[in-house]
Amino acid sequence: MADQVSQNMAVVFFLEKDVSEDQLRSIEEKLAGSSLVLQANFISSRDAVTKFTERFPELQGIVDNLRSNPFPPSFEATLKENLLSSDITAEVIAEMVILPGVEDVQFNRDWIERMQSLSRLASAIGFFLGGILILASFFIISNVIKLNVFSRKDEIEILRMSGATNTFIRIPFLLEGVVLGFLGGLLSLLLLLVLIQIFPLYLGGSLGALRDLINFRYLTFPQSVNIVLGGATIGFTGSLTSLARFLKN
Amino acid sequence: MIELYHVWKQYQKPHWALSDVSFHVERGDFWFITGPSGSGKTTLLKIMFREILPTQGQIIIDRRNILKISDHRIYQLRRKMGIVFQDFRLLFHKKVFDNVAIVLEILGVPRKEIRRRVFAALRMVNLHNKMWEYPSHLSYGEQQRVAIARAVVNQPTIILADEPTGNLDTELAFEIMSLFREINKRGATVIICTHDRELIRHFGQKILFLYKGKLLRKEAL
Repeated sequence: MADQVSQNMAVVFFLEKDVSEDQLRSIEEKLAGSSLVLQANFISSRDAVTKFTERFPELQGIVDNLRSNPFPPSFEATLKENLLSSDITAEVIAEMVILPGVEDVQFNRDWIERMQSLSRLASAIGFFLGGILILASFFIISNVIKLNVFSRKDEIEILRMSGATNTFIRIPFLLEGVVLGFLGGLLSLLLLLVLIQIFPLYLGGSLGALRDLINFRYLTFPQSVNIVLGGATIGFTGSLTSLARFLKN
Repeated sequence: MIELYHVWKQYQKPHWALSDVSFHVERGDFWFITGPSGSGKTTLLKIMFREILPTQGQIIIDRRNILKISDHRIYQLRRKMGIVFQDFRLLFHKKVFDNVAIVLEILGVPRKEIRRRVFAALRMVNLHNKMWEYPSHLSYGEQQRVAIARAVVNQPTIILADEPTGNLDTELAFEIMSLFREINKRGATVIICTHDRELIRHFGQKILFLYKGKLLRKEAL
């Protein structure tokens, strides 16, 4: 979310009300030529009024009563990813501010930095919880296989006495672990899909202003494949460790 | 074929389950190991198929010291042996056919060949007409015959049996013992642990007497 907020954050350059065509073109060229700017949109005074009334329709009356348009023209520039808090960005903005025709700049660097710290914290918590879940899955699968091995210990004993290799005994249990992990991965993807569909419906109202910022998106195809393959790998290693102890005895 | 040299086994100090047991079994022999309960018969058998290791001593089977075989190669020794237990150790969720076939499946024998050999083994123990039944539908005597069919289906050179008639009445015990005799006549070396004196009197030719882990005497009648 924090990433999304910082990425969507634009630097707004407010222009003087009587900015000339030449000044406007020079500012636009400067923005377009900058390696830091991803996209720059010109917002005229009239566009600004329209946007304001669209966003705050209840204040339409006040706008109608104004004798002149108080909104200055502006450029909304979206910066390239990960550059929002860099010092280079601050330098570029400082260069832009002194250009003729530019009156002010709106860019809350502290806030973005705080959001990025929040993003890092959220990632750390995500990794921590993910790690715990992976360990939990490992032990659950390992214990399921252990129980299964235990319930079939007579059969394993007969196989061993009849000259079965450890690999021959292991294969069905390893396959079971892989299938369990694989199905677990698929099930988690399905649950995620359902949650993504349902969650915004339930929380939509209570999110308030955050609703526009939070975007529930599904995993990409490679991420989904990684989850399923990861599940299968956890299942495989879980089975292997539970069998290793049993076959050693 | 099977040679034991000064085999000692201790589970817990200070008692010795086996004390300095040495004997030789020739290829094609039929031996009984007898003695009262707790004399070390089962321990001796378990050492021979390397279920357990002796505390001291050496065991040579087919000119190979079985104590030097690594754990992951122990299957090579077991494939030469057919083992029969007092409690049959059948898989009750599998049919008679599958109980016997499992040994050949381990060896990777083709399905068609498995069918042929399982049928032959079950015919030898006269259970070929109950091939598709579950062991729980069979009598104790029949269940033990399935276990024997399983032990001989891959034509092992050694058959080891631990009290194979322990759960059977005298008539069935004689029937089972006759089967072991038949297997022995076909060339397998057979070693049977039993405390049934009647059986030994009737079938015994070569007998090892164990008492409190010591080999009291060897008899070859």
